[in-house]
Amino acid sequence: MSLLDRKLLRDLRALKSQALAVALVMACGLAMMVTTRSLILSLSTTRDNYYERHRFAEVFARLKRAPNSVRDELVKIPGVATVQTGIAIQVTLDVPGLMEPAVGMINSLPERGAPVLNIPYLRAGRLPQSQSRTTRGELAVSEAFAEPHGLKPGAKLSAVLNGRKQEFLISGVALSPEFVFEAPPGAALPDNKTYGVFWAPYKELATAFQLYGAFNNVALTLAPGASEGEVIAAVDRLLAPYGGRGAYGRTNHPSHRRVDDEIRVLQGLSVAFPLVFLSVAAFMVNSVMSRQITLQREQIAMLKACGFSNRQVGAHYFKFSLAIVVGGVVFGAAGGVFLGGKLVEMYHLFFRFPQLDFMLDTRVLVAATAVSSLAAFGGVAGAVRRAVNLPPAEAMRPEAPASFRPALLENFRAARWFSASFRMALRNIQRRPVRSGLTCLALALATGILIVPNTFRDGIAYVLDFQWDVVQRQTVTLSLVEPQQARAIADFRHLPGVVLAEPFRYVPVELRAGPIMRRLMLQGLPERGTLSRVIDARPAQFTLPARGVVISAKLAEVLRVKPGDEVIARVLEGEEREISVPIVGLAEDFAGVAAYMQLDALNRLMREGDRITGAHLSVAAGQWEEFLRAVKNTPRAAGCMIKASMRDGFRKTTAQSIGLLQKMYMMFAVIVAFGIIYNSARISLSERARELATLRVLGFTRGEVGAVLVGELVLLTVVALPVGLVIGSGFARGILTAVNTETVRLPLVLTAANYAFAVAVVAVASALSALFAARKLADIDLVSALKALD
Amino acid sequence: MTTAVEPIASPPAQPPIEARERMFHARGLARIYGEGEAAVTALAGVDFEMFAGELIVLLGASGSGKSTLLNQLGGLDSPTRGILHYRGWDLGTADEAGLTQFRRNAVGFVFQAYNLIPSLTARENVALIAEISRDPMSPEEALHLVGLGERMDHFPAQLSGGEQQRVAIARAIAKRPEVLLCDEPTGALDVRTGITVLEAIEHINRELGTLAVIITHNAIIADMAGRVFTLSDGRLVGVRENTSRATVRSLAW
Repeated sequence: MSLLDRKLLRDLRALKSQALAVALVMACGLAMMVTTRSLILSLSTTRDNYYERHRFAEVFARLKRAPNSVRDELVKIPGVATVQTGIAIQVTLDVPGLMEPAVGMINSLPERGAPVLNIPYLRAGRLPQSQSRTTRGELAVSEAFAEPHGLKPGAKLSAVLNGRKQEFLISGVALSPEFVFEAPPGAALPDNKTYGVFWAPYKELATAFQLYGAFNNVALTLAPGASEGEVIAAVDRLLAPYGGRGAYGRTNHPSHRRVDDEIRVLQGLSVAFPLVFLSVAAFMVNSVMSRQITLQREQIAMLKACGFSNRQVGAHYFKFSLAIVVGGVVFGAAGGVFLGGKLVEMYHLFFRFPQLDFMLDTRVLVAATAVSSLAAFGGVAGAVRRAVNLPPAEAMRPEAPASFRPALLENFRAARWFSASFRMALRNIQRRPVRSGLTCLALALATGILIVPNTFRDGIAYVLDFQWDVVQRQTVTLSLVEPQQARAIADFRHLPGVVLAEPFRYVPVELRAGPIMRRLMLQGLPERGTLSRVIDARPAQFTLPARGVVISAKLAEVLRVKPGDEVIARVLEGEEREISVPIVGLAEDFAGVAAYMQLDALNRLMREGDRITGAHLSVAAGQWEEFLRAVKNTPRAAGCMIKASMRDGFRKTTAQSIGLLQKMYMMFAVIVAFGIIYNSARISLSERARELATLRVLGFTRGEVGAVLVGELVLLTVVALPVGLVIGSGFARGILTAVNTETVRLPLVLTAANYAFAVAVVAVASALSALFAARKLADIDLVSALKALD
Repeated sequence: MTTAVEPIASPPAQPPIEARERMFHARGLARIYGEGEAAVTALAGVDFEMFAGELIVLLGASGSGKSTLLNQLGGLDSPTRGILHYRGWDLGTADEAGLTQFRRNAVGFVFQAYNLIPSLTARENVALIAEISRDPMSPEEALHLVGLGERMDHFPAQLSGGEQQRVAIARAIAKRPEVLLCDEPTGALDVRTGITVLEAIEHINRELGTLAVIITHNAIIADMAGRVFTLSDGRLVGVRENTSRATVRSLAW
């Protein structure tokens, strides 16, 4: 080891707490980047491999019923590679130990041979076999549903198939690329307690539903180079006579889209916010190194006088900052791997892959290291250049005394009352405007990043209140197997405990504005409902007009339309038709996208008379169990969504994942706030050691000198705090915009408590840093600090 | 360079030393840095007394222990052995807070490197000390005493070395200290400027009756003192009493 390197090690040791503070801030930015980029890599690689190995289809279609011969016509469509037809049907389940009825989506397995598309992955047991060979019907159950219910191969389960209750044996637990994210159709949030996916042999399922020799579900892949749009159009034309509900590609596939959205969220978090941290770290490296070089002026002169070249001296100080960067990279990578591992664990709550392992994105690690090193070097370059350009003889002399002038603020009359230490602080700030400005900016950023995590928390709290207390006020939502006469509502009203019942009709539609389209359930609701309400951003309830639709604000953004514009609605059920409807308002909602219409208006549009597909019910708490028992025995009720369990599900999944992000960000933000403030205090202590020692000798108490030391920092903090609150609100808005997807969104909620928290953390960090600095002040050797300058 | 200090023919007669109040009293005062083999003896046990209104010069080569002694007198450091009393109060056993109060109320310091606060003007540098003192003189009065009445609103960087040192003296005396401790006050100055600074110190000593202790390695300066303590190797090797004090103007080196 060269002696210069030994000097480097010793200098680093002397500067360890400051070097550590800088390295930690850098580590936070890097960890954030490494975690998110690695998760993107893990998710996308795992997904792509899974899709490929288990042959995830590219185009999907549902229909009422088509004879198996239509399959051959599907195969003939130009651009179609492989076709798989089958049955997918929703049934009511009676799960042992579950009070409420659950809904199962049973998918058929081919009658002959193995599935060719959307091939299930067996986690346990085997795929179900035909009844001819066993005494009882068999089902394979999805892992997402099996886990919360403790269903293992050999367990029994009852399902109501076409009005007839049947008992099944669970033959295996499986996963499918089609159901990586498993949520009820139309629902943006998972509810693994009451909704599950199953697989059954074609023959059993077809027989039970009088569909033998027919199919109602299509999956297909495209030939290389085929146009998805053309194939979808051809499939729609072909299936229209058979009650086709419109084919769609992967981008509209609910499971695929959810995974895609998660990757988009991670992308939103992976660059801009970590870069804020890294630039703060670069500034800190700059301030630490500039100070170090100033302190070592004489040493630099000595080195040059002894014959060291400018390059050697420059390299020495670059190595110094490199050592800090290396520390940051090591901490950052370790932190990134650790947090990434935690987040991957959490993804098992949402996403079902055969295996999801954390994959470290080494490329981003290398890139981030390069960026940090460049930033650090950039930060040091100026100071190093100044130092090496100094002729040795000049550098040997102490730096000329700093020249000051009265601060601009002192031109005011009130300035007469400024204390001496306040004047010192003002003039110090004014003498080095760039450095003071940057310190102020760093403090503002520290304040700002403290705002972000709590907006996540407050947003979640708002959604929990808003979505389930303001918008959805029903206890439970019952859906029917098929649209029925409006008088079916009377049956629901007569269920035990029902206080209020409001009908609804959901119709699958495709909404189009120019080239952009989305498929969703158009919800027909009472004009001004009491249970399920359409609410705008104010928030105030809409009265649904006789003409026109209210759509989610997010949907308006996606379709690039605004109230007053018209959208084309293509009905995907029954008789196909297209109509142009005006948008009459934008609704505030946080999960999925929706479109609302007055129920009567929707029924007029459908020309099928007064029909409903379900009802929102308010049920008296005392008769809850009785109500659920009655629902289990209502064959027409196909689905039962209980608000409390939806809310619970949201809390356990989305809220938990965002909660983890919040904690992670909070930790980072606090580290950065402390790091910046501590570093500023240390540098100001080092620069003013002599001045402060003089004051001590002249009889100032340690507290009084401490006040002089932190005065400047306090002034900068006071200026930085309001700026930081504004910056933080901007960060929060930017990040929420980046992470808000069509599936899940958080509103921007900025509370006084959040602001107060950020201010308090910065204040505590300042106080503690001042305390550290004051303790260092006690270590200053008064006698040696006063030694003559020459 | 102008100065408000009036040249005087000879120093005024002072009452005999024994009649004046005893300020410092030291017996076997020793300061040893480090321990065992590495121990360095900076002061090897000195005995002395200093009285109110005296002007004492501590003379000695570098490493003789004069700075260590001044640090002891100023409450910047505590003795390893021996006793040091200030007006009957034991400086050796005083705690940090007690020493701070001692420096704050009783001692004025003048350093070789001036140690002014660069961000404060001359007036403000003096006012800063006045802020924490019990019965300070006004900064203007203190600056007039050292002949700097006109340059009060200049910052240290705008003042010459001699002017900066006189601001430092004004700062030291603004609190009306009982003791003025000067560590090589002319060390960084040329002869002419050094003279004006020494005149200021002598003026304070005479007008305010402040005990002034000046460290120097310049034997000529010793002629202005009432008594000269000579230190060598941490020992007090001689105390000389000047029968007639030379005027500062007559000094030359």
